Amino acid sequence: MELYIHSTGIVSAAGDNSKENFLSAAPAYDTDRLMCDELDYTAYIPPMQLRRMSKAVRMGVAASRICLQQAGVEKPSAISVGTGMGCLNDTEQFLSKMVSQNEQMLTPTSFIQSTHNTVGGQIALLSGCHGHNLTFVQRGHSFENAVINASLYLDEHPGENILTGGLDELTGTSLAVLKRAGVYSAGPRGPESILHHARPGSIAGEGASFLLLGKDAKPGTLCIRGLSLFVTKDTAQALGNVNDFLAQEQLKPSDISLVMLGINGDGKYESFYHKLQRDVFKDRHIAVFKHLSGEYATSSAFAVALLSRLAATGSFPSFLFTAAAPERLDHIVLINNYVNHYSCWHLHLV
Amino acid sequence: MNPRAYVVNTGLVTAIGNNTAECMDALIAGRSGIGKAKHLQTHWRNELPVGEVDASNAELAAMSGTDAAWPRTALLSAIASKEAWQPYAGKTEGLRTGFFSANSVGGMDLTEDFYAGFVQNNATGNLANVTSHECGAVTELVSDHLGIYDFVTTISTACSSSANSIMMAAQMIGNDMLDIAIAGGADCLSKFTLNGFHTLMILDKEPCHPFDQNRRGLNLGEGAGYLVLMNEKAMQQCGAKAICIVSGYANTNDAFHQTASSPQGTGNKMAMQQALQKAGLQPSDIDYINLHGTGTANNDSSEGLAIAAIFGEHVPMASSTKAYTGHTLGASGGIEAVFGTLAIRDGIVFPNIRWQTQMEEIAWKPVTELQRGCDIKHVLSNSFGFGGNCSSLILSKS
Repeated sequence: MELYIHSTGIVSAAGDNSKENFLSAAPAYDTDRLMCDELDYTAYIPPMQLRRMSKAVRMGVAASRICLQQAGVEKPSAISVGTGMGCLNDTEQFLSKMVSQNEQMLTPTSFIQSTHNTVGGQIALLSGCHGHNLTFVQRGHSFENAVINASLYLDEHPGENILTGGLDELTGTSLAVLKRAGVYSAGPRGPESILHHARPGSIAGEGASFLLLGKDAKPGTLCIRGLSLFVTKDTAQALGNVNDFLAQEQLKPSDISLVMLGINGDGKYESFYHKLQRDVFKDRHIAVFKHLSGEYATSSAFAVALLSRLAATGSFPSFLFTAAAPERLDHIVLINNYVNHYSCWHLHLV
Repeated sequence: MNPRAYVVNTGLVTAIGNNTAECMDALIAGRSGIGKAKHLQTHWRNELPVGEVDASNAELAAMSGTDAAWPRTALLSAIASKEAWQPYAGKTEGLRTGFFSANSVGGMDLTEDFYAGFVQNNATGNLANVTSHECGAVTELVSDHLGIYDFVTTISTACSSSANSIMMAAQMIGNDMLDIAIAGGADCLSKFTLNGFHTLMILDKEPCHPFDQNRRGLNLGEGAGYLVLMNEKAMQQCGAKAICIVSGYANTNDAFHQTASSPQGTGNKMAMQQALQKAGLQPSDIDYINLHGTGTANNDSSEGLAIAAIFGEHVPMASSTKAYTGHTLGASGGIEAVFGTLAIRDGIVFPNIRWQTQMEEIAWKPVTELQRGCDIKHVLSNSFGFGGNCSSLILSKS
């Protein structure tokens, strides 16, 4: 795999990257949910369309517009989107009216927008993009599947680009249900507790992040070189798979300038991430991100976009690192998980 | 040259049959599966006919050796994917196998039950009913059941979903990332989709008439359809014989409206043209088009005009099979790719049943009688959907 990240668009609980002050302050909160810091969308979305868009759609569309703007591209060649849950709010609206009104007197708007490919369709509509357009809904591998699709597309169309992103929205229902299921922790917590004090459940989050991917290696861009996915309930097996991935990518610890980990404050994964830091990536610079984004199925899109941003700006805010920040970036490894779905990424700064 | 993706087997469950052979019998006999819902518990049961699979969840679970507590989409998926996969199970040691299963409703049927309790009090509602809500969760129930782990994905692009599964599977075999793929999709009827389409006022209150001047809309259906794709190495190891190959595919976007097609079918036309280009074929090489042909005023007009623009006065034999099965949404591309495979295998073109009146805006008409003894070398299969998604596949005799 060889995919170059030409630009990024991030809409997250830690702000959006259209602003100068993005990542200028350390996160500070005491909460059970990290909701998106929504921006003024009118710069990106016409008011008529904006009025009808639910949060998943507007944050997805805005992140894609920021990404295109940063690359100076009006229209991408193709679009590839991952979402674990899709447009939950519209789904719930239609569902709750259908249940309470006994299938009568319903209106179509929320049904139309509840389709999983709504964001991909809206991006195509707003940019007039007639190209390839796919949406993947594969739990904690949704964004990863979208990246694999981007790679397949660019292999067939090497001169083109593909807007590739991941997004999920948190709703009152998903928060309540995922707390009951033990995915999210019940009470409020702060950023330190997510990184150092494991409890049952992780911090709930949401967001949308897009990358413009192409085959041409522009200097100073981050390249996605390797991606491996697996599903397991056994964290010991997961550790073995990470080692297999490093061998497959022919990466020695000394080659790795930075390791980013999806540490999420959930006790179930504490020993996995602890062993990665203590044994596999001993003495490596370690970065974290879920104290900014919160946990959700496509948070890896935020992580990759964040890494691309660090590479592009060369500025390394201290609150991203467990100890010292690296002086320069070269080979980077990102290990993430969302509810038994793991992904291992090999990135490289050109 | 890249490895080719050979179609070696199929699996189906639809309103016209519980396996490929039963569906084929019904297609030949002209027997439609559209009627009153027996299993879907809806207010609209007497008013909106559907293409329902004739089995309860318990019966589907017994047929597939799975669990009746699964979402109905997963049960349908298990039946059809097992039919397709069964001959090769246990013979694939050392081969890389992927499961590409599209759907659009996920576990919505169970979520509907959960939600009724949850809206009263968010501490109630059986959690087990919502753990498989996600489309990807439905796919994983089935991939775990089949024991396929090398690559598992769920595409959800509304009505074009499972055509895209087949496209991506062919690409991954072509790039030597996999040796085998089970590719297609499933969707069950749900109150959510039935009511959603009803609010759009595009459901026919009678059995639908695709590509007819007096068409009134679509009937929703349910089912699952899968192809087993293999490279040559896998065919040799499994002792599988090729029926046809996936020779062309394209995915485009109409970029016109969230739910409606552009009047001239811009995206439809681009998808068909690019699929022909990918396959290295001319329009005149196509012997049969399995139309998207939902029966709505908008779809059939846009698709009909796009076909006229590409094929001119020489439109090949074409038919919509949705008058048999209903519109099975995320499953339709997979189900219809199986029908296309059978057309090549048996030299048959299925009739566009219930057709009566020529559409005014186009000069060509669909095939209305069963055609046998045809030499079908290349089939074009169209799937178009919400979000402007347009996909075309080409299957070619190998």
